[in-house]
Amino acid sequence: MVTVYSITTCPWCEKTKKYLASKGVEFEVRNIEENEDYAKECYKLSGDTMVPVTTADGKNFVLGFDKAKLDELISA
Amino acid sequence: MAKAHVHKDVIVIGAGMAGLTAAMYVGRMNLDVLVLESGIIGGQIANAVSIENYPGFVSVSGADLISTLQKQAENFGAVVDEFDSIVKVTLKNNPKIVETEEKIYEADVVIIASGMNRRKLPLPEERKFSGRGVHYCELCDGHMYQNKIIAVMGGGNAAVDAANFLTKYADKLYLIHRSEFRADEVSQKRLRQNPKVEVMLQTEIKALHGAGRLENIDVLDKNSGTTKNLAVDGIFVNIGVVPNTELFKDELQLSKSGRIIAGEDCRTEIKGVFAAGDVREKEIRQLTTAAADGTTAALLAEKYLSRLKESV
Repeated sequence: MVTVYSITTCPWCEKTKKYLASKGVEFEVRNIEENEDYAKECYKLSGDTMVPVTTADGKNFVLGFDKAKLDELISA
Repeated sequence: MAKAHVHKDVIVIGAGMAGLTAAMYVGRMNLDVLVLESGIIGGQIANAVSIENYPGFVSVSGADLISTLQKQAENFGAVVDEFDSIVKVTLKNNPKIVETEEKIYEADVVIIASGMNRRKLPLPEERKFSGRGVHYCELCDGHMYQNKIIAVMGGGNAAVDAANFLTKYADKLYLIHRSEFRADEVSQKRLRQNPKVEVMLQTEIKALHGAGRLENIDVLDKNSGTTKNLAVDGIFVNIGVVPNTELFKDELQLSKSGRIIAGEDCRTEIKGVFAAGDVREKEIRQLTTAAADGTTAALLAEKYLSRLKESV
């Protein structure tokens, strides 16, 4: 299952979610603004203070909206 | 696999205020219009928390304003594609060719409304700290700085509005700007009245430091010539914009600042190619003037198309 760490107001998070939906990918949204545990998970995964962070395995991730890397992630 | 060729009456490049306004008008005239956007829909205003100078709204977020405009354009038949990026344009012949990663579009009219991108922080350490303390999207990344110390760089409306927004997270916020404020008085006043904020005009960030993440910055006071070190957890850069015209530099005449040269009628030197919004060289660049450009370009595009069809 693909997970997208995001916040409500972030336009790049919206774009990432719309892209995954356009490709028919099922994903879970973890809103780091509403859940402190998700925020910790997100930071632990990427080491960055940026969203969106998208992962399929909890190890490899895509930071921001990067179509080529998202394609790689969802085809793996 | 060879790319499919697709014909469109009008292709609009960019889905900001100018591009979506143009698409809405073109759509209303029953023309086949496609809007291509490789960044975020709304462009610069997508990040605006509160717009208070757009007629008809006391206050509206950029996201709300632009999503309504997108709906208006789509209701009139415009199609917006935000996932297929343009790789090349050839504008001088008819039809004009807009090649994307997936398709080759042939269009009778191209309206360029590609807008501007934020200028990157011109320091060698920028790449090292990008996402690790250096940020360009307050709405995306501001939340990560709950109870932290933030610096905002810039003195225009976008920078001051960003700083005002970020005070809801930060314990302390420095506004660092190399000259005097260019922001509206209303926004400046709001910022100066906030006890969390320290305004530092005539100052410049000269270096970023940190082991892995940004930890502190060197700030030059231009008046005294002295440099002091400030502990900060993050900086949000808002030091102006650069026109998004790389695709067009071999096709159209650009101004010294890199914007497309076109008249108030938005016509460029190539018939059937219009430039609208902030990407067009002009003195005043506001949301309202972007909407006006989009309108002008669309209406004159329709005139051009009618004549083109009559001549065939």
